[in-house]
Amino acid sequence: MKLIIHDLARDIEPADTETRVLKADGKYAPCQGCFHCWTKNPATCDLKDSLQEVCRVIGTADDVTVITENWYGGYSPAVKNIMDRAIGTSTPFSTYRGGQMHHTLRYGMHESYKVIVYGDMTEAEENTWKLMTERNACNEGYRTHEFVRISSPEELEGIAL
Amino acid sequence: MKTLFIDCSPKKKLSASGFIAGFTAAFTRGKKVREKLRNRADHERIFEHMEGADSVVFCMPLYVDGVPSHVLPFLKDMENRYKDREEKPAVYVIANNGFIEGRQNEPLMQVMENACARMGTEFHGGLGIGGGVMMNVMRILILVYFGLAVLNLVLSAVNEGVFNAGILLEFGKQVLEVLLLGCGIIAYDLWLAHCINRGRAYGKHYTRIMLPSFVFILCADIFFVISSVIDLGIFRGWLSAKKPSGE
Repeated sequence: MKLIIHDLARDIEPADTETRVLKADGKYAPCQGCFHCWTKNPATCDLKDSLQEVCRVIGTADDVTVITENWYGGYSPAVKNIMDRAIGTSTPFSTYRGGQMHHTLRYGMHESYKVIVYGDMTEAEENTWKLMTERNACNEGYRTHEFVRISSPEELEGIAL
Repeated sequence: MKTLFIDCSPKKKLSASGFIAGFTAAFTRGKKVREKLRNRADHERIFEHMEGADSVVFCMPLYVDGVPSHVLPFLKDMENRYKDREEKPAVYVIANNGFIEGRQNEPLMQVMENACARMGTEFHGGLGIGGGVMMNVMRILILVYFGLAVLNLVLSAVNEGVFNAGILLEFGKQVLEVLLLGCGIIAYDLWLAHCINRGRAYGKHYTRIMLPSFVFILCADIFFVISSVIDLGIFRGWLSAKKPSGE
């Protein structure tokens, strides 16, 4: 299954039945840092909004594409909120991955992680994005990762999602 | 000199970020203000305290390799308010993460540095702490040891009618052992406080709890097993790959 997470104003229609689209509309609460998605109700957030089971949606996807506005070399708040609320994709146990400590993966390894970033971007922010994409892919267990920079969402037309 | 410490943890109590903010403030001179940033309702109050501040110290946990989502709108708000102002506070960052390696805070530190560049404020550096959650364990341990020492002192005074100085020595030894775990954090943080006092750039530094990583992982695993037993999560498909409801 393929998952597209985006913060665009317009909707994205899934290309096929194997593709799922998650619109980051910001109509949800931020992570409260309780870890109950690990210790109390596994893979379920305590907050009862549209992201309550988002870790299951992300966890069951093989390929994930994130389309986000650039915010200081990181994700927009609406997209970052989804990621913060999805730590249930991993378990509370820890292991070594890429030579560093990380959590073990509830859903095993995934295939690809692609981040498409639009908006004004400095050179320093672009370098941060490259590091961020690599770190996220390692942390969440993706075999490959890719960072794509575009200047505006209109450029998405020519890019394979 | 005025320093504003912002605890950016979403937790209401017992946050490692709040603890390290308080610890750093204890070694910072001049007027010190501590504030919590948990949502947009906190922005206005924090900006009021930011007026006239020489330094702002953001203390935050690492969330998915970056800044917690609720902090980003605050940074944007700060950018809009401060980019055209001449007098701006210098920014320091203290980031802590649940992994053992302090260096895993580097992407967060870069995001904060980039935000400062957009605001036109000086990024005076930051401290990245690995195993930051152990700071909570350390302070709880010291309190427990203190309670036990007081209890033993009272018992020995009542039962034997003497003041047993050996109990205080033992307590001192236990405190030193606990502080040894955090000696890297303490040393780097004192250095950070010194830089705040002098208005100097600190640079980026990374430290950790002084435990071998495999011991730290074992401790973390045991902690989560106990937590999951107490919260009953261990009986609710604890490690299973649950599918979305309805599928």
